[in-house]
Amino acid sequence: MNGTSTEYLLILTAVTAGVTFLLRALPFLLFGTGKRPPALVLSIGNVLSPAAIAMLVVYCFACYVRDRAPAEHMFGLAEIAAAVVVVALQLWKRNPLVSILAGTAVYMTLVQTVVP
Amino acid sequence: MNQKPVLKQAFVSSLPVLMGYTTMGFAAGVLLAAKSGIRLPAFWAFLTSATSISGALQFMLVDWIQKSQPMLDVALLTVCLNIRYSMYGLSLIERFRGIPLAKKLYLIWSLTDETYALEVENKVPPGGDSILYCITLAALNHFYWIIGVTAGALAGASLPFPNKGIDFAMTALFLVILTDQCRERRNRVYAAVGLLASVACALVFGAGKMLIPSIVLMLSVLIVFRKPFEKLESWKPGERS
Repeated sequence: MNGTSTEYLLILTAVTAGVTFLLRALPFLLFGTGKRPPALVLSIGNVLSPAAIAMLVVYCFACYVRDRAPAEHMFGLAEIAAAVVVVALQLWKRNPLVSILAGTAVYMTLVQTVVP
Repeated sequence: MNQKPVLKQAFVSSLPVLMGYTTMGFAAGVLLAAKSGIRLPAFWAFLTSATSISGALQFMLVDWIQKSQPMLDVALLTVCLNIRYSMYGLSLIERFRGIPLAKKLYLIWSLTDETYALEVENKVPPGGDSILYCITLAALNHFYWIIGVTAGALAGASLPFPNKGIDFAMTALFLVILTDQCRERRNRVYAAVGLLASVACALVFGAGKMLIPSIVLMLSVLIVFRKPFEKLESWKPGERS
């Protein structure tokens, strides 16, 4: 199914909204009557989040490595520089908006000028 | 009693979220219009933001549309991105017990990171209705998010500057979340597991096919080695056990 077709977009909306709602409702459905959640569920639920976000960061960079690693892109200089800006700003200022906007601006400037 | 102070306090409490959601939503909307190649981006921006209300997901959608990602993958990735919402509910079961079903469903549907934080903080004025406070907060935040994403999609189709590289916003968002999570020592252990598992899968399967194997590998490692990891959480360099 083509990603830009109306049919795909409708199913995509339904699946993402449905799964997200189910996740939000899960504890109320399972433990609403006062049962204690099993220890395994609790511990996996608590630790999956950092692992999943780390995976998504790796995914983003794996795509950059595939598309932009060759010497003509200066071995990913723009990606590395922008990522350093994002992490450094976030550690320093703790303001997600500032970090994301500044990092994206640096990246856009670099890929539109020095590292095409 | 008069519940006006409750509504007022809910609005005041929601102001930081107004800033955050409109700007972040705007960025996600711009990305959708500029990079997904769909027709009527503002309509889809409205529909997806109103139904999912999830930041990271809103960014990932663009990637999925570009790749025509199969729905099974989409569902699995959505679970990974949003499993934290299940944890939030655990601490709200008692608060939401016994309230009318429609209200309860809306409170569950609208539970985002920021809304959860404010509901737990619960700055309801003395004698005020705490459920009314929560619903007002949730509805305001929901509204800010829809406005941000939809406005971004409207603007994104006609940006006054070249948009090459704007998709880095998603990478930046994940980097920010990861940086914040790694402030907590215990999260670093699990971030490292995700990092190693997904680098291995990227090398074996390639960038395009790495996500599902990574999730499977990560989950298996987290389940099998759950006890040793729990010990590692409190380990300090130079200390012998």
